[in-house]
Amino acid sequence: MIDFTEEQLERYSRHIILSDVGIEGQEKIMHGKVLIVGAGGLGSPVALYLAAAGVGTIGIIDGDVVDLTNLQRQIIHFTKDLNKPKVESAKEKMLEINPDISVKTYKKLATAENIIDIINDYDFVIDGTDNFSAKFLINDACVIAGKPFSHGGILRFDGQTLTVIPGETACYRCVFHAPPPENAVPSCSQAGVLGSIAGMLGTIQATEALKYFTGIGDLITNRLLSFDAKSMNFRNVRFKKNPKCTVCGDNPKITSLKEEDYIPPICEITN
Amino acid sequence: MLTFYDIPESLTTEHKQLEKDIAGFLDGSINPVKFKAIRVAFGIYEQRLANTYMIRVRCAGGGITPLQLKKVAELAKTYGSGEIHFTTRSEIQLHGVLIENIMTVLRELKSFGLSTRGGGGNTVRNILCSTDSGITQDEIFDVEPYAIALTSRMMAESDSWNLPRKFKIAFSNNRKDTAYTQVTCLGFVAKILDGKKGFEVYCAGGMGANPILGNLLFDFVPENKVYHITRALKVMFDKHGNRRSKNTSRIKYLWKKLQREEFIQLFEEEYNKIKDDDSLSLDLQPTPNEAKETSLPIEIVSGENFDKWKERYVTSQKQSGLSSIFVSLRLGDLLYQDAVKLTNFLSNFGENNIRCERKQNIRLRNIPEKYLGNAYNLIMGLEQTLSHLPKIFAEMVNCTGAQTCKLGICLPRGLSDAVRDKLITSDLNLENVSDLRIHISGCPNTCGLHHIADLGFFGKVGRNGGYMYPSYNILAGGNTNEAGNTIYAQQVDEISAKFIPDFLHDFLKVYSEKKDEFKTYQHFLDDCGRDLITILCDKYREVPTFEEDSSIYIDWGASKPLSLKEIGTAECSAGMFDMINVDKKIIKDTQKLLTDSITTGEKENYLYIILHSACRMLLVTRGLDAKTDKQVFEMFMKHFVTTNLVDSSFMDVVVLGKLGLKSELFSHEDHINELAKAVNDLYSSMDDSLRFNKAKKEEEEPVAIQVENVKDFRGVACPMNFVKTKMELSKMQVSEKLEILLDDGAPIENVPRSVQSEGHKILEKEKDGDHWRVLIEKV
Repeated sequence: MIDFTEEQLERYSRHIILSDVGIEGQEKIMHGKVLIVGAGGLGSPVALYLAAAGVGTIGIIDGDVVDLTNLQRQIIHFTKDLNKPKVESAKEKMLEINPDISVKTYKKLATAENIIDIINDYDFVIDGTDNFSAKFLINDACVIAGKPFSHGGILRFDGQTLTVIPGETACYRCVFHAPPPENAVPSCSQAGVLGSIAGMLGTIQATEALKYFTGIGDLITNRLLSFDAKSMNFRNVRFKKNPKCTVCGDNPKITSLKEEDYIPPICEITN
Repeated sequence: MLTFYDIPESLTTEHKQLEKDIAGFLDGSINPVKFKAIRVAFGIYEQRLANTYMIRVRCAGGGITPLQLKKVAELAKTYGSGEIHFTTRSEIQLHGVLIENIMTVLRELKSFGLSTRGGGGNTVRNILCSTDSGITQDEIFDVEPYAIALTSRMMAESDSWNLPRKFKIAFSNNRKDTAYTQVTCLGFVAKILDGKKGFEVYCAGGMGANPILGNLLFDFVPENKVYHITRALKVMFDKHGNRRSKNTSRIKYLWKKLQREEFIQLFEEEYNKIKDDDSLSLDLQPTPNEAKETSLPIEIVSGENFDKWKERYVTSQKQSGLSSIFVSLRLGDLLYQDAVKLTNFLSNFGENNIRCERKQNIRLRNIPEKYLGNAYNLIMGLEQTLSHLPKIFAEMVNCTGAQTCKLGICLPRGLSDAVRDKLITSDLNLENVSDLRIHISGCPNTCGLHHIADLGFFGKVGRNGGYMYPSYNILAGGNTNEAGNTIYAQQVDEISAKFIPDFLHDFLKVYSEKKDEFKTYQHFLDDCGRDLITILCDKYREVPTFEEDSSIYIDWGASKPLSLKEIGTAECSAGMFDMINVDKKIIKDTQKLLTDSITTGEKENYLYIILHSACRMLLVTRGLDAKTDKQVFEMFMKHFVTTNLVDSSFMDVVVLGKLGLKSELFSHEDHINELAKAVNDLYSSMDDSLRFNKAKKEEEEPVAIQVENVKDFRGVACPMNFVKTKMELSKMQVSEKLEILLDDGAPIENVPRSVQSEGHKILEKEKDGDHWRVLIEKV
């Protein structure tokens, strides 16, 4: 058991006084290890909130540098950070918020080749990516490695999220069998996104991670939570674990990750 | 209207607060243990029968007027058991008052100058004095005005009601020490030095389970320093007394801990601050001892019985023409109709003529000699008097015992009657042994004053062949006849309750025959009396088996064999059985419905009810109180499944219950019924020690709780004080206790509530000067 320092008791006091969190819950948070894939619109609020919450180890993986177009929504990066690797920029802010935590950076793109090795060191994964192939990569990797994760996606005024506990609850592929044909669905860079949507969805994902560690409440499992910020309607679409799912079903076809199955869209690479 | 103390203005406010607290207790927002701590300081004790209360009324120096006594009797008739009980602390008690009538009774009492404040709890208790003070030839001076003035002063001071433990004060008017100044926290014995009035002062005595004699604090202090000494001791006790452990919290233990030098040093620190301030001296207002003229016709009585009565119970006062009369009450009880007769008669002579007496009798005073015939006729006409009998019965003391007191083991009242029946039908010359003081307590607490008896008894449990029988320890040789030389009775032997009348008969027979050979009873004891007790006990040592003679196992006045199940504090123990039985019945009834139920929906619902009741049934034995259904299942998992009290295979159904998945229960019907059976079996297998033996150890007032852990969160602002409390709680095991110190204001308003909302128990919350002590039990 952690013997909290006076400073920690104060820092985390608003968690501790919550009867569902308490000392024990905060301790679980502090033992938690989260990998955030993508230091962009979703990754920014997730990284900030999880750092603030005291998640003990936070890994952050992103190969990009900060671009001026990012700053409208990727709030962990500031104007002074332009051209700085996103993971470096994020790490600085996270440690400024909470020097208590440990931040590991991976300045690279998550690929079929490297992702399993990386996620093996973590207890929970946040999907903060912006393209389908990456989302399927994260889903499949997490299912294969047995890592719970939070899927998240935003576009224009819409957001959607789903939490997956591999082996127990439906995975992303149970619902969305395969990526849509290239360019059938536009990406943010093509269609645009309202900046604050990233905050809305990212904070939901951060909340899922904290709920997972503390065991509070019900995770967004076996359902897809989606919202439309224009009407501000939130919907839950329920579904079940699909026995025919190609990655988590009874007879999975995907048992290892192959580079060719997860080709990132061309336009994203230039971003 | 004469009163024996002034009612302070604060009492009205205190009553308002108490009224709120009673409401809070009734609606569940105030924890019963906390409520207990609040109410006992108002002299309100719960009796064995749940929700009925005893109310103890303060009588300074034992004084009460005929009008007041009559009013109390009326309240007893309207709201209580119809009788008044006279206590061993010169007070009176009403019994059997329902909680909804408590405030009415208290306010009525107040309206004619009576208060119950300090009738119990950690307070300045009733202040005693020799009940013949002011009327006997044989006194150094009248000490009663000091007891009365000091009572008024103490009652007006708010720090009198939240001391580390009780604070008892007594005044004796001569060296015979009839107020027992060495067995009390602070005792004053009248003394004249160089022609000046003053007191010899004793301090830090006390009886209880571990009796300690008071020590000489002052050989002589001038009479105008009584308040200064009391105040200084109170403040010192408040500051230095042990509040952590209520078993060692009385002043006697403080002396023991500090030893004389340091104790006196700390006392003097306080005393020196105020001792020269003459404005603090008590304002003495002696109550004149005189009789009003009356036109009441004189009744002339003569004859042997009248003369015998006078010889036994009537003494002449120093006021010429006036008499003092002992009214010997059976078991210390005065019935309503007796009270009315008596007080109507007394009102003829004025207001100052009743003293409650420590032997649970009434001592009348200021009765004109010419009316002794009237008094005789009246007293002999009372239903509950023993005044026609030799004085040995008037000298007998017995606590109320298990009949009403929650701590009693035996029934001293029944024993007392049995002893009397035995002795009056015997050939003994009771007149010859009439000064022998027989005191009986139903348990090791000393309400029956057994430590200072010639022959004392206190109740215990005897065991034979798996059965329990009522039994008593015997003590002998207590002596309080001389100030400064008090001796506590020594334990000699033990005997089954049912043999005590025979034992006493045999003992008195020998004593009566041999008495003249010895200078005093003490000499008799030292020479052969103690051996006699042992020899007689040997005679009765063998207890027949339950099969041979079950009557030995049934106490005097009881209808069933001795049982300890009702002992303890009804707030937890009696309520516990009730709560368990509620669930037992629900399970049984629902199982019946289940077999007849047709639809799946019905079935699922019944299964859920069975599961829920099975999980809830025994939570109470672990001191748990689930507020929601979900908590029921969670607590059951934590305290019964994971601890293997029930088989871990039941975890699955309990989880379904927790998740509220009623539709899933259908396929687990057998398993749910098995769980109900497992819980029932567990209940049958629980031996009393799991819970009830623990309760038995409780003392007469709020439970002594050993605190493992004390944290000072004074100066820590909200919510950090709560955060830190949670930190401490998280390190502790379930049912461990934590005491925290909190500032007044927001901290005390918020932290206990927050702690409670997390399911922990607040056992105590008490103000300690400018801050609060809160005792928490981890759940």
